[in-house]
Amino acid sequence: MRDAIKSRVKKILSVNMLKDIDLQELGDDTPLLDYGVGIDSVSRLEFLVALEEEFGVRLDEGEITPDFFETVDSISDYISRRVP
Amino acid sequence: MNTLSGLFLSAAGKFSSRTAVVEDGISVTYGDLARGALGFASYLSSRGVRKGDRVAIFLPNSIEFVEAVFGVSLSGGVSVPINSSFRTDEVGFYLEHSGARLIVTGDESINTALKASSGRGIEAVSIKGDKAAWKSPGNQHDEAAEAGVGPEDEAIYLYSTGSTGKPKRVARTHYNLSALADNHTETVGWTEEDRVLFVVPISHTYGFGNFISAVKSGAAVVVSGEFNRNGVLDLLEKERITAFPAVPVMLDVLSKTYMDGPRDLSSLKLVISAGAPLKEETFVKFHEKFSVYPRQLYGSTETGVISINLCGGDEIERRFNSVGRPVKNVSVKVFGEDGREAGTGEPGELAVRSPSMAAGYYGLPEETARVFRDGYYFTGDLGMIDEAGYIYINGRKKFLINVGGFKVDPGEVENLLSQHPDIAEAAVLGVTDGRGNERVKAVIVARRPMEVKDVLGFCRERIAEYKVPALVEFRRELPRSPTGKILREQLK
Repeated sequence: MRDAIKSRVKKILSVNMLKDIDLQELGDDTPLLDYGVGIDSVSRLEFLVALEEEFGVRLDEGEITPDFFETVDSISDYISRRVP
Repeated sequence: MNTLSGLFLSAAGKFSSRTAVVEDGISVTYGDLARGALGFASYLSSRGVRKGDRVAIFLPNSIEFVEAVFGVSLSGGVSVPINSSFRTDEVGFYLEHSGARLIVTGDESINTALKASSGRGIEAVSIKGDKAAWKSPGNQHDEAAEAGVGPEDEAIYLYSTGSTGKPKRVARTHYNLSALADNHTETVGWTEEDRVLFVVPISHTYGFGNFISAVKSGAAVVVSGEFNRNGVLDLLEKERITAFPAVPVMLDVLSKTYMDGPRDLSSLKLVISAGAPLKEETFVKFHEKFSVYPRQLYGSTETGVISINLCGGDEIERRFNSVGRPVKNVSVKVFGEDGREAGTGEPGELAVRSPSMAAGYYGLPEETARVFRDGYYFTGDLGMIDEAGYIYINGRKKFLINVGGFKVDPGEVENLLSQHPDIAEAAVLGVTDGRGNERVKAVIVARRPMEVKDVLGFCRERIAEYKVPALVEFRRELPRSPTGKILREQLK
C-alpha cells in the first residue's frame, strides 16, 4: 500500500513541479525544494488540494509543517496515516 | 463629507450600534470603532503627529488596522499601509520613501519595525498585543482630536509595483477615496445588512477599495489575517458572509477543497475575483460547489476600482471572462498603437478616467507624463470593449509577474540577488506551473558552487514570501542578444 501511495504522490508531483523531471528519476528522498514544491503558500495550497482530491482526505494547512513537503517519503508517510 | 474621516464619522453616526468589525469572534460596533479611532487620533497627537504627517501602518487585517487607518485620517495624517508579510529591508524602503514619522504595528512585528525604522528618526510602536503602547479605549470615551482636512489633502499612500526595481508612490486624496467609496458602493449596492469577509489584505488597493465601500455602507467588516481554506469556509458559514472579495487562486483551491460535509453558504451573494484572470475551470467549479458565480473586478493602485462584472441571470456564464462594465462615474476607453481610440471589439491599451484616480507618481515626472495624460490613466493592460460595454483583458504591456494576485517586479528580485556575494548574475522571470498559475523563477550564474537553499534562505530573510523564487536554476551564463539584452524567453 505504501508503494501505491508513493506512486500516486509522484504522479501529483509531476503536475505541481515547476521543473520537468522523469518520474523514474524522482527518488523517494529527492529534495522537492529544488523542484519548487512547497516553497510558497500558493505552491503548498495547490499541492494540498491535489492530494485531497487524489486521496479523499482532509489536509489542514494549519497543521502541516514545512518538513511535510521535503520528500516523497515524508508526504507518503503523512498520507498513509490519514488514508482509511 | 468628501474626506475619509467624514465618510467614517458619518457611517459611525448612522450605524453606531451595528457591528463594524469582527476579528476572531470579537465584534466592535461602529460606535466602538469611532471611539477607538478618535482615541488613536489623540494618541497620534500626543506623539507629535500633525496634519500631513505620514504614519506607516504595518499590521495584518485586524480591528487595530481599521482603527489606525481612520485614526490617522482623523488626526489629519496620511496613512501608509505596509503589507504585513514584508521583511525589514522592504519596510525600510517604504518608511524612507514615504517620509514616515511613525510606524505602528503589533507585538509580532515590532522587532521588524524597530529594525526598519532604526537610524531614520522614526518612532515604532506596537498597538496590537500584550505589549501595545496604545490600546483601544473600547467603550471608554476618549478626547477627540480631529484635525481639519480638506478633500484635496493627501489621505493615503499606496504603492504600485513598478518595472524599474522599486515600487512607485501613488498618493490618493480624501476626495479620491470618497469618490471611490461612492462609486463602488452604489455599483455593488452594499447596505448595512451586508457582511463582507476580508482575507485579501486591506493594506492593498483591492482590499482597501472594498473596505472603505463596506464602511460607507455600514456593512460588517469581518477580517482574517491569513488565508486558510477551512478557516475561510468556517467564516463564510458562521459569520453569514454576504460578500467575499478574493483572488482567483483562493477561489480555485476553495472549489477543490475536501469537505467532510455540506456547508451552508446560502448567505453568500457576491464573490469577487480580482488581481489575476479567472479561469473558466475555477468559475465553473466554484459555482458547482457553492452555488455562487465568482465575478471579476478590475482595478489598479493608480485608479482604485474600475469595473465589475455584475451581469444578471445566465449571462454571467457567457461573460464570466469579462471584468464587467465601469463602476459609476468611471470611464474606460481603448486606444490602439497609433494612439487613436479603438472601435467596439478592437484591441488596444485600456485607459481610465476616474474621480478616484491619483494625479501621478511621486518623484517620477517622466513616468507620470507617460501614463497619466489627457485626463486618463493608461493602465498598460491590453484588451477590448464589446458592443454591450463589457471590458475584456487579454494581456499586459508591463513586464511583471503575477503571483496569486500580487505583482512582482523582476527587477526588484534581480537587484536583491545581485547583492549576494556568490551570485555573479541573475535573471528573474515568470513561469507557469502545471495549474496555470504564474510563479517567480530565478536563473543564476554563480561565482562559486551554491545550492538552491542558499538562494532561498537569502531571499526569505529580505523579501516577502510571494516574491521569493519558487524555482531556482543555475546556469554557466545567461543567453543574450547581440546587443547584450538577456533573452528571457530562453530561460523559461
